[in-house]
Amino acid sequence: MDNRGFYALFIFLGSIAALFLIAPLFKLFWGVGAAGLTEAFGDTEILSSIALTMRTALAAVAFVALTGIPLAYLVARHDFPGKAALESLIDLPVMVPHTAAGIALLAAFGNGWVQRMGLDFVDSTTGIVAAMAFLSAPFLINGAKEGFKKVDVRYEHVARTLGAGRFGVFWRIALPGARQEILNGALMMWSRALGEFGAVVIIAYHPMVAPVLIYDRFNSYGLKYSAPVAAAMILVSVVVFILVRWLNNRSNRI
Amino acid sequence: MLRAEKLFLRRGEFMLQRLDFTVPTHDYFVLLGRSGSGKTMLLESIAGIQPIEGRLYWEDREITRLPPERRDFGFVYQDFALFPNFDVRGNIRFAERYKPIVEAEKLFEDLVDFLGLSSLLDRNIRHLSGGEKQRVALARAIFSRPKMLLLDEPLSAIDPTFRNAIMASLKEITSRYDTTVLHVTHNFREASYLADHIAVILDGKILQTGRAEEVLHKPTSIEVAKFLGFKNLFPASLLGFDQEQRYFTIDPNKIRFDGRCREGDYRFDCTVERIMGITDHYKIFASVGTHRFFAKVPKALMASTALREGAKTPLCFNRKDIGII
Repeated sequence: MDNRGFYALFIFLGSIAALFLIAPLFKLFWGVGAAGLTEAFGDTEILSSIALTMRTALAAVAFVALTGIPLAYLVARHDFPGKAALESLIDLPVMVPHTAAGIALLAAFGNGWVQRMGLDFVDSTTGIVAAMAFLSAPFLINGAKEGFKKVDVRYEHVARTLGAGRFGVFWRIALPGARQEILNGALMMWSRALGEFGAVVIIAYHPMVAPVLIYDRFNSYGLKYSAPVAAAMILVSVVVFILVRWLNNRSNRI
Repeated sequence: MLRAEKLFLRRGEFMLQRLDFTVPTHDYFVLLGRSGSGKTMLLESIAGIQPIEGRLYWEDREITRLPPERRDFGFVYQDFALFPNFDVRGNIRFAERYKPIVEAEKLFEDLVDFLGLSSLLDRNIRHLSGGEKQRVALARAIFSRPKMLLLDEPLSAIDPTFRNAIMASLKEITSRYDTTVLHVTHNFREASYLADHIAVILDGKILQTGRAEEVLHKPTSIEVAKFLGFKNLFPASLLGFDQEQRYFTIDPNKIRFDGRCREGDYRFDCTVERIMGITDHYKIFASVGTHRFFAKVPKALMASTALREGAKTPLCFNRKDIGII
């Protein structure tokens, strides 16, 4: 096929994909309209649900950053028996159905010992954070792992000969070197956590995170009442996403 | 003084076999070995980055298990490994966060001056040339006031036009900054200019160690002689010696031919195989039986001989010019 035929076909097929991805979001905002959005942002139930979603997703990211980044560093820097198996296990949550993951989490943490430590699990923010963290952790851990692999290990060697201990090297060489990948991973994880429904709904129907609220309103009142919540949630996520990217790009330029 | 006792290390196919050597304090010590013979790994072992068997001592204190951050050995990698998240100044001053640097400001000023870094200080390291990176890496290592500087092929990534200037700086480091240098390279010319002492390491073994001129001019084995670029290595029996295992060598500049051969302690009949004119001299390859001699004759002297390819002519040299190995 000649050049023109090739591009005609590919542009045609590509346009279908692009339209398919854009159209629902466009239709959603068009249908809700400015008035609908304003009203949604005046609804305290919607606002507190979005705030809860943001907060719990952030907590999930923070938990995985604290524990998963050290794990990523170990995996990136060392060879040890069972490393390949461990790496596959880290990827596992991406592949399991979310409701099944919710059941597994409930079986592991819902039956007493977490409660005995003074934490609620079922119908609590702890349970929501756990569900979010479990299903989206691989994005952050794998991002950090790739980031650390990119940092030449000899930078760390030189830093040590200059007097920096293991922690100093990690803070001032490894972490800054992997920053971009870690940040991208955290953003991916956070946006995935915001949308987590299947596992959250099994563990905690209440308090309602935004995806559960959307589902609840849709079930009880129909499309007309769930669309503004959906639009509001998407808008807030996109704004935060763009803001973080912008801040990061600005600090990269300096 | 750094002392290595039975240093042993194996990584894959590569092995260092129970090395013993001593680097005197304030010495410029060059470890000469082929590229890819694991010299980097040896330096990393001394820095404490690679675990080793055997023992390492600094001034009679054992440091074999001491972590790198407590050894005070500066390290300069072949491709410098400058920290990409710091500018030039940040790279050089990296160590001061982790240990007290005596007279840090004075040292910093002096290094900037000595290595000509003043115009680079606020630059991003991505925008430096090879020679500039090299100077920054040196400054970074020296700023930590190391007891010893470990240099891994420090001149191999440098443009030849700057190499001499950097060599001159390197030679001054031990006295100016009160330190000891252990420099590994495959280049014996570098070694001959810089070294106080040399150790030749081939196939994971140290074959010879000693004062620089001694090692460079009096190799004790045929392997070292070959590695050091000695030409004309032949069995001593050719000269009538009856020691089977010995070899002799003759400087290509000391071989004479034809009409200049009237006197000479050793005299052979040779066949001239090839004559190559190079700038100011001719390279002459001539065979004596199965042996092939290599000689250099200045162009000014060629006129007085009747040398041409294929000619049979006398070849001679004197006893004082040969070296026995």
